[in-house]
Amino acid sequence: MKILTTVKKVVDVELNIHIENGAIVEDGLQYVINAWDENAVEAAVVLKENNGAQTTLVSIGGEDNTDMIRKCYAMGIENAILIDEPSLAGADSFVYARVLQKVYETGDYDLVIAGKQAQDTDNGQTGIILSKYLDLPCVSNVISMEVMDETHIKVSRLGDGGIEIVELALPAVVTVSDSINEPRLPAMRGIMMAKKKKIEIMDLAKLGTSLDEVGGAKSQIVEFMKSKTRQGGQKFEGDAAEITTRVVDLLANEAKVFI
Amino acid sequence: MVKILVIADIKEGVLKGSTAELLSKAKELGAQTAVAAIGYGIEPLAQALADAGSDTQYIADDSSLELFSPGPYADCVVQAAKLFEADMIWFGFSETGKTVAPRVAASLDAACATEITDVTLEGEQIQVIRPAIAGKVIQRIKVNTKILVALVRAGAFEASSGMAGTQNVLPLSIPAPDLRAVIKEIVLDASGDIDLADADIVISVGRGAKDQAGVDLVKDLAMDLAAGFGSSRAMVDGGFMAHNKQVGQTGKIVAPSLYVAIGISGAIQHLAGMTGSKTILAVNKDPEAPIFNVADYGIVGDLFEVVPILREEIKKIRA
Ligand SMILES: Cc1cc2nc3c(=O)[nH]c(=O)nc-3n(C[C@H](O)[C@H](O)[C@H](O)COP(=O)(O)OP(=O)(O)OC[C@H]3O[C@@H](n4cnc5c(N)ncnc54)[C@H](O)[C@@H]3O)c2cc1C
Ligand SMILES: Nc1ncnc2c1ncn2[C@@H]1O[C@H](COP(=O)(O)O)[C@@H](O)[C@H]1O
Repeated sequence: MKILTTVKKVVDVELNIHIENGAIVEDGLQYVINAWDENAVEAAVVLKENNGAQTTLVSIGGEDNTDMIRKCYAMGIENAILIDEPSLAGADSFVYARVLQKVYETGDYDLVIAGKQAQDTDNGQTGIILSKYLDLPCVSNVISMEVMDETHIKVSRLGDGGIEIVELALPAVVTVSDSINEPRLPAMRGIMMAKKKKIEIMDLAKLGTSLDEVGGAKSQIVEFMKSKTRQGGQKFEGDAAEITTRVVDLLANEAKVFI
Repeated sequence: MVKILVIADIKEGVLKGSTAELLSKAKELGAQTAVAAIGYGIEPLAQALADAGSDTQYIADDSSLELFSPGPYADCVVQAAKLFEADMIWFGFSETGKTVAPRVAASLDAACATEITDVTLEGEQIQVIRPAIAGKVIQRIKVNTKILVALVRAGAFEASSGMAGTQNVLPLSIPAPDLRAVIKEIVLDASGDIDLADADIVISVGRGAKDQAGVDLVKDLAMDLAAGFGSSRAMVDGGFMAHNKQVGQTGKIVAPSLYVAIGISGAIQHLAGMTGSKTILAVNKDPEAPIFNVADYGIVGDLFEVVPILREEIKKIRA
């Protein structure tokens, strides 16, 4: 089985983000692997270890994505493709999906594993759109995955009514939830080996496509704004009975929630 | 006139409140409205769909649609969108919506916007507002296509009265089942529980409750109040709470009148799911817990001590 895992580098959501004149201030930002893509990498490596799958990752981003890719190598990914194309700035999920489609078509992959969502966009679209472009079946929000035979996997997905169990014919696309696994910390040996591994870097021309072919963005961010942060209100410390009674009174008579 | 197709949110044969919220907003925008309802045994909902504010009801009702399958479901939506010539297609922010909306957008060559909190129309130009980066920023987005598919964040729009539409049912043709992604089974949630999305009060439990006894203690409070009973991810990972009870970025987005966080630290991914609540109460023994930065009322204390008192005092006040 040949697996293609999609991985994006995103801004670290744990740090403060400042906005000036409708744009995010770059100064002081740090970038990390998208958390859900780390789950995707772990899922791919587990299939390598348990089922002898071959693992390739693809990331669309700048040259500075190489640190992240080395981390994925250290986790156990075998091959990596970096699509470094500055003119893709301003791309939306549809443009990324077209580029990923091109990458998919250069190899004979059986399974694409994407993150369910990128932490910078919070879109949750790219993997699903890719499956439509490839005309492949797709299950999103996957929380477990097991190989049935050469051509089928069984996945469970968290849906609205409960856990949906689906038999998926390969080739297919899945997008994974953070509940699927706990990404490993790379071992020292893996980190050392990862340093020497080659990364295949391509632009759109080398991939055999062009900006025209991947198309324009269907929507664009005009402006970033500060989110309306809530203010902490009244905080009570002291005797539990006293403060709890006080708060219940406020809830009823000030916030008027129990009526 | 702009045409907005709302996808009905139906669970266990019941029409969820979000459908009326979306239809109300569509009418406020001056749109012509239609609704698409997909499932099995849902025909009896036609009147409720009209009452919720739709003037046309596209209904796909078939036993093959009983178990949710995104491919056929998306086919039905695309069919309705084409028949109606929709300019916008709106889904509620459910797991069903999240997996179907991008498929529909790709089929219609439309833009797709997730988790929108507002939408504006100037002539043909559609713009939307939405949070991103775990709620740390807000984006204004300009749509470059004629059609927009959007997922509306829970609590973004309010249902208003007097929006009832007219019944005009049009059946959709039933798509072939997806043989490449065969749904075998749905392991149902504990039924009978109050759906978090509908609850006026949500009580959530976190790692501070430690074990089953702690979870049960907090659950009793939820039962007293007929509240939805939610959870942080820590308690889902710990096996104490079902997956569908998780509130947050990867869980449910809730916006009740009252949200009570008990033994929850307030990680950014949890906040992303609940800061739209009207009033927030937090109980945490750590006075520095970040949850207090968003709580209107904070009780610094041991939940094992505070929760029983909360129950008593609330009973008194409601008596
Ligand atoms: C990609 C990603 C997605 C995520 N999605 C979600 C999500 O959707 N929802 C979510 O909730 N999390 C999510 N998380 C996890 C999140 O980062 C936190 O780890 C999680 O919310 C912590 O849960 P908690 O607050 O219950 O536990 P902790 O952070 O361990 O907090 C426990 C709190 O209980 C308090 N406490 C302890 N004992 C007591 C006591 N006796 N009485 C009162 N208070 C007490 C402590 O002071 C502490 O503040 C996600 C993480 C990632 C990386
Ligand atoms: N630039 C990118 N490079 C590689 N993968 C990406 C990129 N953008 C999105 N993806 C994949 O698509 C998923 C969903 O992204 P999004 O639709 O932006 O939420 C991510 O978790 C990634 O797996």
